[in-house]
Amino acid sequence: MILPIGPIHPGLKEPLRLKLHTQGEKVLKAEIDYGYVHRGIEKIMEGKTWQKCIYLAERVCGICSYEHTQTFAETIEKISDVRAPVRAQLLRVITNELDRIQSHFLANSTYFKAIEHETLFMYVLSLREHAMDAIELLTGNRVNMGWNVVGGVRMDAKNIHLDAILEKISLIEKDLDRYTEIFSEGPLVGLRSKDVGKMTREEALKGRAVGPIGRASGLKHDLREQHHTYRDYLDFDPIWRKEGDNYARTMNRFDEVAQSIDLIRQAIDVLPDGDIRTKVDIGSGYAEWRNEAPRGEVAYMIETNGNLIKHISIRTPSIMNIDSCAKFMLKDVATVSDAVATYASADPCIACAERVAIIDVDKGETSKDIYNLK
Amino acid sequence: MSSVIWYLYEFARKSFFEGVTDAKSKHDIVEKPDRFRDFPEVLKEYCIACGACTQSCPSPHAIKLVRDGDNDDGEGQTYPVINTRACIRCGFCAEVCPTEPKTLLCGENHLIREEFNIIPSKRQYTVDDFLCIKCKKCIKSCPVDGAIIERDNKIAVDQSKCISCGNCLEACPVKGAMKGVFIDNLEDQKAIIRLVVNTLEEFIESKEDELQSLPSEKLLKLQLPLSKIWDKALQILPDEEVALEVIENATDRLKIRIITWDESKCEKCRLCVDECPTGAITYSPDENKVERDSDKCLRCSNCYQTCPFSVVKYFIAKFLLDEVDGEKVILITLKESQLANR
Repeated sequence: MILPIGPIHPGLKEPLRLKLHTQGEKVLKAEIDYGYVHRGIEKIMEGKTWQKCIYLAERVCGICSYEHTQTFAETIEKISDVRAPVRAQLLRVITNELDRIQSHFLANSTYFKAIEHETLFMYVLSLREHAMDAIELLTGNRVNMGWNVVGGVRMDAKNIHLDAILEKISLIEKDLDRYTEIFSEGPLVGLRSKDVGKMTREEALKGRAVGPIGRASGLKHDLREQHHTYRDYLDFDPIWRKEGDNYARTMNRFDEVAQSIDLIRQAIDVLPDGDIRTKVDIGSGYAEWRNEAPRGEVAYMIETNGNLIKHISIRTPSIMNIDSCAKFMLKDVATVSDAVATYASADPCIACAERVAIIDVDKGETSKDIYNLK
Repeated sequence: MSSVIWYLYEFARKSFFEGVTDAKSKHDIVEKPDRFRDFPEVLKEYCIACGACTQSCPSPHAIKLVRDGDNDDGEGQTYPVINTRACIRCGFCAEVCPTEPKTLLCGENHLIREEFNIIPSKRQYTVDDFLCIKCKKCIKSCPVDGAIIERDNKIAVDQSKCISCGNCLEACPVKGAMKGVFIDNLEDQKAIIRLVVNTLEEFIESKEDELQSLPSEKLLKLQLPLSKIWDKALQILPDEEVALEVIENATDRLKIRIITWDESKCEKCRLCVDECPTGAITYSPDENKVERDSDKCLRCSNCYQTCPFSVVKYFIAKFLLDEVDGEKVILITLKESQLANR
């Protein structure tokens, strides 16, 4: 029997249709339909200046909006062959890690909601508020910050802001260990999560899984290692696990939150005085840039003529993660409720995923299944 | 039993009755952080109607310039109006606003030093009635109500309301139908046009031998590097943007007629002497020779149409400013007139 869930369903955050092939309560396999929130942002951006596009890039994703502006700015900086001042780079790191903290907390709390542990859901969400407050103090707004520009950041952080951020992250750190322990040591919670929705390393490679989902399956791959700021100024080593089940994915995110807190402290320690923004003469040409967003790799491919964006293509991590979730995680799952929890553990973000389609020119067919490529 | 007493006591308290009778929900006092970006705040009186905010806005229809009605005292005030349903609160309009103090306030964005600034332009926009196709795209693109109007089946720009934003020029699908004319230094611009035309004429006349040997139905293509004119043009008007655009506009619409004269074919029939309206063509019986004074010639092509021996050849030259191998050149295309096949 095929059990459809969605597109509008309380179990899902965003519109998407999940078709579960079931035999009794057991889920044999799953299919996923996209196409409910396609917005055509890339097309809107064409023919606009970067000053307008950077605000639109922020609205690609509703949760990890920050990383899009940074990647956009760094792509244009690569075309123009300049680099932001060191202070701006480190301020970008601080905001990026704060954004990662709130995104991981949101993903984990959604997972706890999916396994019906409402206490942890509320606990983790209230912990997320501290991260949101810190972002609001630094940049002015909670989600769409408008903080990055090509050549640096928009506003300088004063000492009171940095002190407030340190205070907020110490508040997070105080409770983080306890909540992680509730999840990892709690017998029922652990039982509900271990060995559910398992994805092996080979399957993760085949499904091109990225971010915490790939790292929980044993892919030690984090683009922050290759980023110049992290490489030059910060001590960083990616966190990864071998199990590849729901438990590993959730714990990987909790561990990355602790690492992000450490990275923010390091960045504030080495933060130098100086300019936060350089004037950039926008060059013309084509460039690609990749960054590690909370969900994985974000890639921007931009072609400009020196003033206007001629062509832009955005690759977001969720599309690979959701597809590998449908193909490999939702396979022989014991119950339907476990299938929904597995889907939530893959941290799907539909709004930014709606951009892939494979068009067969000869046959005139369009499909969204990237694994049946010939 | 004791819990019941406490329970009844809770109802008997004075504050309970006050709560029931004066039931009002109190407003939470929420403090905005310093840098919070709310919807932009508009201070009408500082606005200079430059249109920088409408130009910069990434969200369509979020900001619009409106103008109060004029009265006897003077012009009405022009000021931006924010549509809060479309505004995405990015604060970019406050950042680019060039007035001092700022017309738009938004978070801390109006304190940021400006990198991208749109200042009022030196252009005046006019519609060429001959080329205009009345598609009304300029009216749709105009951010000011009533700046471009349709009157007597003609599109016209109301110069008193135009804010010189240039949207109409971008929207216009016909090249040359909407013109952005620089209103300063008109005499200097004319001098540049004269310089361009004279240089091109001299250049083409120096190639007269190639024109003579050109077979009919073939095109002659020449190139004149812009650098030959550029230094002189900048001496007349030291503004690169204006000079380049004046040269571009001049070459776009320019047609030069060229008349060449092949002496060896002439049979001295003297038909052209009578036809010439200015007396540029003369016959001297002593030398038995027909002569043409090119300074008097109007290039009306009368002699060309009269001559039975095709002594005269008549060419039309068209021009295009283009970039070849990273250097700006004027491309010249010369073609023999089709009147030859009469």
